[in-house]
Amino acid sequence: MITPAPLDLDVRPQLARGEEPFAAIMSAVDALAAGQALRLVAPFRPAPLFNVMANRGFACSDRQLPDGAWEVTFTPLDAAPPAVGLAPGSAPGAMLWPDPSQSLDLLGLMPPEPMVRILEALLDMPPGAVLFALLDREPMFLFPELAHRGHEWAGNYAPDGTTYRLMIRCGD
Amino acid sequence: MAWFGAALLFLLLSLTLALGGAVGPSDWSRGVGLAGVHLFTLGWLCLAMLGALIQFVPVLAARPPVLPVLALPALLAGIGGTVALATGFLWLDGHEAVRGAFLVAPVLLAVAFGLAAAMIVPLLLVRASHKLAEVQLALVALAALWASGAAMTYNLSGIDLMPAFLPDGLGLHVLLGVAGWLSLAAFGVSYTLFAMFLLAPEGGAALRLAVRLAAGLTLGLILLAGMLLLVQGVVPAVLLWCLTALLPAVVALYLAEVARIWRLRRRADPEGNMRWSRVALAFLGLAALLAGPALWLGGRWAEAAIFVALVGWLSLLTLAQMVKIVSFLTWIQVFAPLIGRAPVPLVHHLTDPRATTRWLSLWGGGGAVGGLALLLVQPLVFRLSVAALLLAALGLGAELVAIRRLSHLDPQKRPATLPPVIFPAPDKRSAHDHARTA
Repeated sequence: MITPAPLDLDVRPQLARGEEPFAAIMSAVDALAAGQALRLVAPFRPAPLFNVMANRGFACSDRQLPDGAWEVTFTPLDAAPPAVGLAPGSAPGAMLWPDPSQSLDLLGLMPPEPMVRILEALLDMPPGAVLFALLDREPMFLFPELAHRGHEWAGNYAPDGTTYRLMIRCGD
Repeated sequence: MAWFGAALLFLLLSLTLALGGAVGPSDWSRGVGLAGVHLFTLGWLCLAMLGALIQFVPVLAARPPVLPVLALPALLAGIGGTVALATGFLWLDGHEAVRGAFLVAPVLLAVAFGLAAAMIVPLLLVRASHKLAEVQLALVALAALWASGAAMTYNLSGIDLMPAFLPDGLGLHVLLGVAGWLSLAAFGVSYTLFAMFLLAPEGGAALRLAVRLAAGLTLGLILLAGMLLLVQGVVPAVLLWCLTALLPAVVALYLAEVARIWRLRRRADPEGNMRWSRVALAFLGLAALLAGPALWLGGRWAEAAIFVALVGWLSLLTLAQMVKIVSFLTWIQVFAPLIGRAPVPLVHHLTDPRATTRWLSLWGGGGAVGGLALLLVQPLVFRLSVAALLLAALGLGAELVAIRRLSHLDPQKRPATLPPVIFPAPDKRSAHDHARTA
């Protein structure tokens, strides 16, 4: 079987214009032929993207280019990546958020205690900061409240299904 | 909340009719008795279950609700259908004027079930198919339940759609309703609710698969029995034997799975709703033990088995979880917007656990005594047990209203405006309202 040549995508011009490259990356991913890899060039190492792409069934390898930019190659692990990525409702740009400035382990807490802890923690965080929380299950009642308060979120179940990982970016 | 409110009113109405002598040991087939039975099964249990599914299937499937605009028409058709059917049964007692209601009831109920299914089924198909498989089976049973009920309704009215169906089809109609639709739906929802309230991991793939397969097989056999009844006019004994073995087996597998969730819980002291759900599960076990004699001997055995299943298992489970769910949803509705902006109480501060325990024990006692009275054919004792059930239902109804009104909360902690007791409040906060006090 012939492996198709990787699809090249350079998101530096887009980022230089201040645009979010997420949509372009995702449409590039969707446009990949079976077995085709995606070669992404970005001005920084897009670490959050690795997890997202791993969830879509891509392995990744990265290297720094001589001009300081990063080249990341996402190679499909098999022809049919699993459909499970981020939960519906997740913010599409989450992969480009900064690293979480605060983490909460909320396992074993009775609802609605996790919701109370998360919303209270967000009050003390500056706009744009990211909170990471580990939960027993998807906090369905929290999401509308986050939206009302102007926060963005992205989350999914860990591959073994026992914990739910949630990132929240504090609203402006 | 509107579904729960309507269901509770039908519960009170049916128990009042029963207390007035509409039903009793070996006295269930008068029109007024059938009206009371259907107010209980259709008005109370079925509407409460549909309301719970419409509320929780989106949560369990982690998807936004589908066509939420259908909820009100579905509820209104369900209420209308229940009232029409109950009124229509009085035609059997010689009230000629209500025959029209009898004929229109199946149509209204078809509308109600169809609209509810339109909201629930798309969510079952997208993701939760493996998690909520029992709910899918339950909806199949609901369709068959409706068909058998409609056939009997028109049969009684002299319109012979399915000539063989009465009175031989009655047992299958009851099985489809109690064991098929209501119990399977309760199974499907309870796994996730129990795991949530006990902080236990879900999973247990092997046992759950066994429950699903055994339940599917049982439902298939019930449907097969129905078809044979239509075609040949008789249900073969071998089918009855299979059901006699399968019904307790499904229950035993389900109870083993719940016991597994219970053992793996991370919450050391389960709350009242779970303690009372355990009592409901004991009633389920009892009903399963009575299933064999009920299938073969009928009569008082069947009455006791059905009563224990409807009152002890399904109703006690619904009532116990309803207190928890109503307090939780009320808390979310009132206090979630206030988190971080004002002190918020704990969820259990909205409830009065002592009052809840009092009324739930009265209900459980009434269920046990009532079942025994049916088995021993004691009309007076049965009437007393119905009085206890009615009192318990009134007490729990008052407790639910108190929870909605935040009556158990210190007045200083109550917000100035409360949500309406029953109907959902229009959401005044727009999605762009990002006001923060920090």
